[in-house]
Amino acid sequence: MQLQLQYFLLLAAALFCIGIFGLITSRNAVRVLMSIELLLNAVNINLMGFSNYLDPQGIKGQVFAVFVITIAAAEAAVGLAIVLAIYRNRDTVDMEQFNLLKW
Amino acid sequence: MSSFFVQTVWIVPLYTLLGALFSILWLPAITSRTGPRPAGYVNLLMTLLAFVHSVLALTGIWNGVPQKLSITWLEVANLQLTLPLEISGVNVAALVVVTGLNLLAQLYAVGYLEMDWGWGRFFAFLAYFEGGMSVLALSNSLFFSYIVLEVLTLGTYLLVGYWFNQSLVVTGARDAFLTKRAGDLILLMGVIALLPLAGTWDFTELAQWANSESVRQYAAAHPTTFTLLGLALIAGPMGKCAQFPLHLWLDEAMEGPLPSTILRNGVVVATGAWVLIKLQPIIALSPTALAVTVGIGAVTAVGASLIAIAQIDIKRSLSYSVSAYMGLVFIAVGTLNDDAAYLLLLAHAVAMGLLVMSIGGVILNTITQDLTKLGGLWSRRPITAISYLVGAAGLIGFPPFGGFWAILKLVDGLWDKHPWLLGLVLVVNALTAFSLTREFGLVFGGKPQEMTERSPEVAWTMVFPMVVLLAITLHVPIILHNLSLLPRWENLHQQLTPLVVWSTISGVGIGSIIYLNPLWKKPIQLPFKPLQNLFAYDFYTPQLYRYTIVLVVAVIAKVTDWLDRNVVDGLVNLVGLATVFSGQGLKYNTSGQGQFYLLTIILGLTVFLGLLTAGLIQLSF
Repeated sequence: MQLQLQYFLLLAAALFCIGIFGLITSRNAVRVLMSIELLLNAVNINLMGFSNYLDPQGIKGQVFAVFVITIAAAEAAVGLAIVLAIYRNRDTVDMEQFNLLKW
Repeated sequence: MSSFFVQTVWIVPLYTLLGALFSILWLPAITSRTGPRPAGYVNLLMTLLAFVHSVLALTGIWNGVPQKLSITWLEVANLQLTLPLEISGVNVAALVVVTGLNLLAQLYAVGYLEMDWGWGRFFAFLAYFEGGMSVLALSNSLFFSYIVLEVLTLGTYLLVGYWFNQSLVVTGARDAFLTKRAGDLILLMGVIALLPLAGTWDFTELAQWANSESVRQYAAAHPTTFTLLGLALIAGPMGKCAQFPLHLWLDEAMEGPLPSTILRNGVVVATGAWVLIKLQPIIALSPTALAVTVGIGAVTAVGASLIAIAQIDIKRSLSYSVSAYMGLVFIAVGTLNDDAAYLLLLAHAVAMGLLVMSIGGVILNTITQDLTKLGGLWSRRPITAISYLVGAAGLIGFPPFGGFWAILKLVDGLWDKHPWLLGLVLVVNALTAFSLTREFGLVFGGKPQEMTERSPEVAWTMVFPMVVLLAITLHVPIILHNLSLLPRWENLHQQLTPLVVWSTISGVGIGSIIYLNPLWKKPIQLPFKPLQNLFAYDFYTPQLYRYTIVLVVAVIAKVTDWLDRNVVDGLVNLVGLATVFSGQGLKYNTSGQGQFYLLTIILGLTVFLGLLTAGLIQLSF
């Protein structure tokens, strides 16, 4: 069986979906950040897959992936800082407690 | 010189309207320190001017050629509204009657309204009325006659509602306005329907149109159209002349001040008959309309004279006699006896004016209007009593007074074709004679009662116009003779003359036996009490109105009001409410949960992309 681009895309899509599921259903704020990481990684798999199969010469996808990983690290750092800041005020990281800005 | 007065006779209404304007100066709100009396004097002067002018004009025109004046009122597209005035003997004579009766009634009012502060208003209304009637007398256009009839309807409303702090006055004025208005509105339908048919509203041209052979054939071919037209034209005078079933207003209008009653009973109700007589050629195009005219007149004449006998209010008793006499005019018009109708109007105006004046003097000094509480005034109020007697004699078929000649002319015209109507007229004459005798017996005969023990004769301002009118009533036959309007002695109908006299004698005789005879126990009770109540309560007409027209209109009004408030308003409110509630409900989408917003974004994107791909897939196939 030849490894084809579709399999990578399907895997990435599945990972993306799992990430979405975690993003929307998690009550813990850290797990939400973790789900975002899953999403970003699913994107990275896509980028790598396309880079390998469609652009093996230029590999611009791999350059994109490097940038994504970098930004993801920075974003995670800021995200955790925000979670920490909220935690300091409200003593909890339960997402369902952060519903002050409603109608 | 007299031609000058004939030419300028159209100024006569302006005198009185000028008087109406002057009266405003003495309204209590404007002149509060010196009292309202000059309002009356100014109007008397203006009416005197109008009267003198019309008398001078009458002397100039009586044997002359009728003249026409025409003033263009409005010209639009294909319609020319001109106000044609006809200056003929009959019209100017009507003007003389109107202004003359007004002059007397206004002098009477100076005495009657001695203790009243509202002269400015009263005389202004009276002058407004007089102006309207003068225009009507001269107007030769159906359209302008209609306008004046409406002007008079408003005048009736204002004049009946003069003492508006009394509740019965307010309801009476309301009924007088609405009842006459209903008739006038139907008349307007007829007036408007007439224009496409005849192409003119000029009475003279209308008569020529109606008498032409082609129109007669056309009318015979389209009986429904002309019947409806005739009925609509009858409806206006029907309300104005207080004919059944639009007669209740005249009864309730007796709540108004008495001097205006003189006018109303004498001339105002006659305005409707005046228009009816002029419309007679058109009504004559439809046999059904003629029959209806006669039917209404006959029913009213008999019904109203029966009701008049059963009243205990003296003013109301006279007012039903007015309805009955206007019914006779309807019969005369319906049977094409125009001359009899004019004669009836003249005799009725003068005699009825005198009767109401006489009664007004009694009411002013004895306070009560209740016939059962009056009595024994003959020896102390001879002038009033004689005035009453002469007025009564002038009204009924009592030779040689005016009413006799009018009724004789009427029955003479009925002799060949309508024998049963002849009998009916004689019965009405007898009933009216009985009714007037009954009133005379109850007011002037018998023993004084508590209310009439001290009853002096009234002041000269009331006695003088009464006596003048008495003299005029006495002179009516001489005037008629001089104008050669009376039949010559040898031409008198040999059978009819005794019949009229006998009907009068029977009415007066039975009335005298019952009411001038102290042995006959009073109050009279009929053996069958409900019948007496039926007449006394005017066939229960108020209830009849309340449970038919008024009920229907009230129910429809309530239903429409409900529909408007709930259905129409409700639909519009529903839009607003739906918006409010959808806003209220949809705001919960803003849940405050970041994850929910994410879900919304993702769902939106998914749906959008899904649709996009579905579209792409469709395109690719």
